[in-house]
Amino acid sequence: MRETYNRELDALDQGIVRMGALVEQAIEKATIAITDSDEALAREVMEGDDEIDDLFADLESRTLTFIATQAPVASDLRLILMVLRAAHDLERSGDLAYNLAKVASRHVKMAELKGINTLIFELGNAARRLLGKAIDAWSGKDVELAIEVQKLDDEIDELYRKLYRQLYDLKDPDLFEPALNAVLVGRWYERVADHAVNIAENVRYYVTGDEEFLA
Amino acid sequence: MTPENTTLASTKPHIELPSIQVQSTRAPGNVSGGGFTVEPAFRCVDLSVFYGGKVALKEVTMDIEPRRITAIIGPSGCGKSTLIRCFNRMNDLVVGAKVEGQVLYHGTDIYAPGIDPVMVRRQVGMVFQRPNPFPKSIKDNVAFGAKINGYKGNIDELVEKSLRRAALWEEVKNDLNRSALGLSGGQQQRLCIARAIAVEPDTILMDEPASALDPVATVRIEDLMQELKEEYSIIIVTHNMQQAARVSDKAAFLYTEVDEATSDRWGILVEYGDTGQIFTNPRDKRTEDYVSGRFG
Repeated sequence: MRETYNRELDALDQGIVRMGALVEQAIEKATIAITDSDEALAREVMEGDDEIDDLFADLESRTLTFIATQAPVASDLRLILMVLRAAHDLERSGDLAYNLAKVASRHVKMAELKGINTLIFELGNAARRLLGKAIDAWSGKDVELAIEVQKLDDEIDELYRKLYRQLYDLKDPDLFEPALNAVLVGRWYERVADHAVNIAENVRYYVTGDEEFLA
Repeated sequence: MTPENTTLASTKPHIELPSIQVQSTRAPGNVSGGGFTVEPAFRCVDLSVFYGGKVALKEVTMDIEPRRITAIIGPSGCGKSTLIRCFNRMNDLVVGAKVEGQVLYHGTDIYAPGIDPVMVRRQVGMVFQRPNPFPKSIKDNVAFGAKINGYKGNIDELVEKSLRRAALWEEVKNDLNRSALGLSGGQQQRLCIARAIAVEPDTILMDEPASALDPVATVRIEDLMQELKEEYSIIIVTHNMQQAARVSDKAAFLYTEVDEATSDRWGILVEYGDTGQIFTNPRDKRTEDYVSGRFG
């Protein structure tokens, strides 16, 4: 029953998976652009943000139309609310990928920061993997995986603290600019991970209906 | 009001009703869909209804909260109307109908021997799917029940008060002697509500009260229900899921079970809870499928 309804519901659900894949790719490319000082790749990421923004606008508009015309309830209503929330988290993550790429495009020489470049690579990879896991949890509505995402977030926080400490220990005025950018970069990855955790919580709310996960 | 001194006598001033002493009380306990601490207006315990020896509604146990709107929802044939008609013994009027279990109204078993169903119906009014005004004037429609009951107060005041409560007064105050049949469908239904509340009931049962009305008249009835629940307990049967979601505080989902061998069908109570919970996080798959329009 309700075939059109079910089709649109599936399409909105899959919209998050698609948007998630684009953002994950953007984060990955931005990390390479930063650590390899690849300006062309950075520009690619920055230009690609429009596609993510368009997807967000499309998902948001279709979700509102769906609520207005189909009046979903029960788990369908929970899914629709979570689509709206996850789309927002992904749009913000896309913006953070844009910020990361912008740093790479500004000729900031991260490579000059000994050891830091490796740490940024590690942090970038961890944030991307976490986002990927969150999207997998979304795709399979997998509560176990969602819980894993929340646990893994602690590792990202730890990596960010480690990065901060190492930068603090540099105490070299010549490295001031790259160090300052490295702090921002680390903070942005940490925020991408927070968005991934939000998405994982959305999955738990959708599956359980427990409002504890709405917070 | 404690169970010990609960009576079926109205606490409202105008109508004298014979007092019926409590026949039985049960301590609030293991009753599905409870979750509130006030004394229920109704408590059904293992309530079953049979028509011609065949079960139509099976073992319903639930509490109805006072001064709240309780919606009964479910697919056709699930026993919604059968259930709502148990609350004022309207099933007594069906030949071959038999009721088992208990319906406690403020602690009194309304199916106990010695209980007069007419007394029950004075306390528990009913509004039907199709407005059914009498072919009389607007005023006489409202005053009808009170007159039969030997109402000794000022009839004009009673008529005005009832019509005001039913949100109809402003539209008809200059035409009280006009025939009720000249009113629109929505006005007729509000007149029926005014007629029901003129006898000062405690509970109003509404069986699909807006299904024959246009959207504007429907909204008026829904608004009216919100005002009425300040003073009355309301139980509504509705096919319109969005209406149940909009108006009710509690929702009960009934579902039809089928005996494959005999093709016999009967209704059961699947889930009962706060309306918000039923429409955002139903516990039972059958409720989920029904409220999201996947069957029924």
